[in-house]
Amino acid sequence: MTLNMGPQHPSTHGVFRVILEMDGEVVETAEPEIGYLHTGIEKNSENKRYVHVIPMTDRLDYLNPPGNNLAFCLATEKLLDIDIPERAQALRVIMCELARIASHLVWLGTHALDIGAMTVFLYCWREREMVLDLNEEISGVRMMTSYIRIGGVAKDATRPWLDGIYDFIDYFPAKVDEYELLLTKNPIWMDRTQGIGVLSREEAINWSLSGPALRASGVNWDIRKSRPYSGYEKYGFDVPVYKGGDIYDRYRVRIEEMRQSREIINQAIQRLPTGDYKTPDNKVSLPPRETLHTSMEALIHHFKLVSEGISVPKGETYVPIEGPRGEVGFYIVSDGTNVPYRVKLRAPSFMAIPGMCQMMTGCYIADVVGIIGSIDIVMGEVDR
Amino acid sequence: MTGEEIIAKVKASLPDAIQDTALPQGDAVIFVAPDCLQKVAAFLKDDPSLKFDYLSDVSGVDYLIEEREPRFEAVYLLYSIDHSHCIRIRVGIEEENPSVPTLSELWKGALYPEQELFDMFGFHIEGHPKMERLIMPKDWVGHPLRKDYPLTTEAVTFSYNRDFKSELVKSKPPTR
Repeated sequence: MTLNMGPQHPSTHGVFRVILEMDGEVVETAEPEIGYLHTGIEKNSENKRYVHVIPMTDRLDYLNPPGNNLAFCLATEKLLDIDIPERAQALRVIMCELARIASHLVWLGTHALDIGAMTVFLYCWREREMVLDLNEEISGVRMMTSYIRIGGVAKDATRPWLDGIYDFIDYFPAKVDEYELLLTKNPIWMDRTQGIGVLSREEAINWSLSGPALRASGVNWDIRKSRPYSGYEKYGFDVPVYKGGDIYDRYRVRIEEMRQSREIINQAIQRLPTGDYKTPDNKVSLPPRETLHTSMEALIHHFKLVSEGISVPKGETYVPIEGPRGEVGFYIVSDGTNVPYRVKLRAPSFMAIPGMCQMMTGCYIADVVGIIGSIDIVMGEVDR
Repeated sequence: MTGEEIIAKVKASLPDAIQDTALPQGDAVIFVAPDCLQKVAAFLKDDPSLKFDYLSDVSGVDYLIEEREPRFEAVYLLYSIDHSHCIRIRVGIEEENPSVPTLSELWKGALYPEQELFDMFGFHIEGHPKMERLIMPKDWVGHPLRKDYPLTTEAVTFSYNRDFKSELVKSKPPTR
């Protein structure tokens, strides 16, 4: 029997369609179908200036806007060959880790809801709201922050934001314990997740899975450790790795990652460096507003940056970062002008879809929903 | 291994297959012809000191405006999980009959991005089991990420606020 699931299905987390060939209740083959959310962001980026691409990267993986901003900015900065002030790097790290927590909270809430645990969903949304309030305080926007810019960040940290983060990191660990109390030893949860959707270490690597799905299959691979960026080498944190490769282990990896993210934020905020929040290079970032009335050079830089934008030297580069779903990377080709020649996103959800359908073959129809949830796909970055 | 060491090792082992090498910002980049791609990729994967076992991404570039020869390029990003180093393979592809062999026999993860290359650039991937549209609709004409494919806007057909259609007609320059 052929069964069509999606694109409008509540548990496909967006407009994802999968065509299931069934033998009774067992899935024989799962054929994915994507493209329902194609917005042509890569094509659009080739016709916009570098700075104008940043708001579009927010919309790729809409649960992790700072991570996408960061990957794009790091790639551009690598081509520009500029150094970023320590304070800006620490602010970037804090924003990315907050986004990771918020993203994992959305994943945990919806994943648990798919499998039938209603309460966790409400708890997760409660804590996510605190992160979104922090986003609003520092960037003015709850979700599509566009906070990380080429050369630094958009604004310096404010007192209420820092106070809010101190409150959040005090409050949050007890809440993670609460989610675990509801799920980790829950017999229904364990029955629905243990030994289901298993992918071995070799298969996970061969299918190009990344992030928590790869680490749940026993691969110790985290871009923050293996290719550190934005000063991640200065923070002490663990990379959770489990060997089961099933839904339950992916759940445990992400739960532990939330604790580790909280740990990174704690370290970053305890020793938040003083100094600039963006590079003083006025070819890249706007000069301070108050200097425009006194300095001719500042006025010229301001005019040139606003009217022309940043000119990036000729070349090509690829910079990966570790997002909540895995490796997010931008491959940028520059032809020396103020418009990127080619922008390619390495989207972890896109790369994970064939592997996910591999997990579905041979499982029961009721577990398909759990497998989709455990990979945590975001269709915005799949279809781009 | 650092970028220089990787390049030196690959060059020494496969002198005929490597067209050129580069080290932009310290990353190892090798240039390979399409017919040597599978051989080079298999070597990179199997050699114990390189062991590039993880295919991160495949992307395409159209160098039409740069007027480069050959016009297209496919870029493969490889990692080694154990040695934690990376390499980029750049494969130049001719404008006439653009085709490149598949790497999906070595890395299953290549299946999807290679299908996207067909969809967006119109490359024929030799040996790929599914040469059909991935992201664009099945009946779509043209390959959107080619540089000669124009970025157009869609006229708004209906709005509560303004009559866009008549405005579009008005804003057209007069024909001589």
